[in-house]
Amino acid sequence: MSFAPADRLVVARGVRVRFDPVRNCNVLLAPERVLFPCPTSVEILGRLAEPRAFGELVEGLAAEFDAPVEEIARDVEELLADLVAQRVVRVERGVAP
Amino acid sequence: MTAPAREPWREPPIGLLAELTHRCPLACPYCSNPLELTRRERELSTASWERVLEEAAELGVLQLHLSGGEPTLRGDLEAIVARARALELYSNLITAGVGVSERRLEALAAAGLDHVQLSVQDVDPAGCDRIGGFQGSLARKLAFARAVRRLGLPLTLNAVVHRHNLDRLERFVELALELGADRLEVAHVQYYGWALANRAALMPTRAQLDRSVEIVKAARARLGDRLLIDFVVPDYYATHPKPCASGWGRAVIVVGPDGRVLPCHAAHVIPGLVFPNVEEKPLRWIWQESPAFQRFRGLDWMREPCRSCARREIDFGGCRCQAMQLLGDPEATDPACTLSPEHARIMALAEAEAAAPPPAFRYRRLEPVPA
Repeated sequence: MSFAPADRLVVARGVRVRFDPVRNCNVLLAPERVLFPCPTSVEILGRLAEPRAFGELVEGLAAEFDAPVEEIARDVEELLADLVAQRVVRVERGVAP
Repeated sequence: MTAPAREPWREPPIGLLAELTHRCPLACPYCSNPLELTRRERELSTASWERVLEEAAELGVLQLHLSGGEPTLRGDLEAIVARARALELYSNLITAGVGVSERRLEALAAAGLDHVQLSVQDVDPAGCDRIGGFQGSLARKLAFARAVRRLGLPLTLNAVVHRHNLDRLERFVELALELGADRLEVAHVQYYGWALANRAALMPTRAQLDRSVEIVKAARARLGDRLLIDFVVPDYYATHPKPCASGWGRAVIVVGPDGRVLPCHAAHVIPGLVFPNVEEKPLRWIWQESPAFQRFRGLDWMREPCRSCARREIDFGGCRCQAMQLLGDPEATDPACTLSPEHARIMALAEAEAAAPPPAFRYRRLEPVPA
C-alpha cells in the first residue's frame, strides 16, 4: 500500500495509546484488542490524533528527525500500511486541501 | 483433587469482565450467565466495584468489559465508568440497548466510556422479539445504535447466530453498515449454561454453518476496511477446540455480580473449585495464587492426547468447562477437538438435533424465590 501526499490519515475511532507501568511499555487499546506498538508507531499515532495529510506528516517527521523527506516517506509508508491494515489508522484518499 | 503448591503466576491479565448484575430485560435462551442467577440483594456496592477496578489496574488489567445481565440497570454505571477512565482502563459497555435513554448514554460518554457493544438478536423485528422475549426490542435497539453514533462513540454490533436467524446473516451485515458500526461480531452460539439447555433449539446444520462462513468471507472481501467483521464458529463443527478465554487464567478475569472471581464465566460448572470473592481476598492473590486460577494453568494437568499434542500450547486442550459439561470430566480433551475419542459421538448428537424440528426455547429467567 502506498500513500499520496494528499491522502488524509487519522487514528481510528476508539483507539487509545497509553503507557502501561505494569508491563513497562506502550499499549494500544481498541475495541476487543490490545496491541503493543513500537516507538515509531507511537510517534506517528500521536501526530494522527487529528486528521493530517500524508505529505504533512512526512514533512513534520523529516523536520523533527532531521532526515530527508524521501527516506522518511519510505519508512513511514511501510509502517502506515500495517497500521491501516490493522484498522488502527483510517485513510481517506486524496482529500486533503 | 488438589493442585500441588505452585509458583505465583506473574503474567498480568489483559481484560476484566465485570458482570455488574444478572438482572436483564431480555431472556435470550443462549445467555452466558449461569443457570443459577444472582439476585439484586447480593450485588456488590459501588464502593466495592471502584476498589475492584483499582486493584485490577494495579494488577495490569487494560480493558474493562462492563456486562451483565444488563449493566445499564445499575444506577451507578456512570460512577464505575468514570473510575475506569481515571485509572486509564479502556471501558467497553456490553448492552442490549432496550431501556437506555439518549440522556443516559450522554452521561456515560461524558464519564469517559470508550466503546459500545450492542446485541442484536435478529434483523427481523418479530424474530428479535421472539429470541429476546421482549416486545418491540428491535426498534429500541436501532434508536440506541443511532444515539451511540450521534455521540461519536465507536459501535460494535454483536450478532449471536443460530438456526433461527442464520438465514438472515447478510442483512446483519447491511444493518451494521446502515448504522455506521465500526465492527460486526458474528458469533455462533457457544453451548454453555442456558445455551446448552437450549442446544436442540439453537444448533445450526452444517449447511447453515458453511453458508455463514461464505457470507462472512464475501462481506470481508467486499467491504475491506469499511467494516471489521469478527467471526466465531460453533466449536462442535470445528477441527480444533477454541483456546477458551485464551487459556485458563491467562488473559481474562471475570468478576460476578456478587464479587465471585472466575477464570471464565462458565467456570462454576467445574465441581471442587472454590472461587474467591473480592470482598474477602485481594484480586492480586486471586489471580496469581488462588487454587481455582492455578488449577488448569500450564501443561501438568493434561492427559493424552493433549499432553503430547503439538497444539497443546495453542489451544490448551480446549475448554475445561465444555469437557466437564459434556463428559463430566474437566481434565478430558475438549470433545470439540477431533482428537477426542468422544468427538464423533458428540458431533452426531448435535447433527441429529440440528436436523430435527426445534423444540421450544427455555427462556433465561430469574426463577421466583421458593416459598
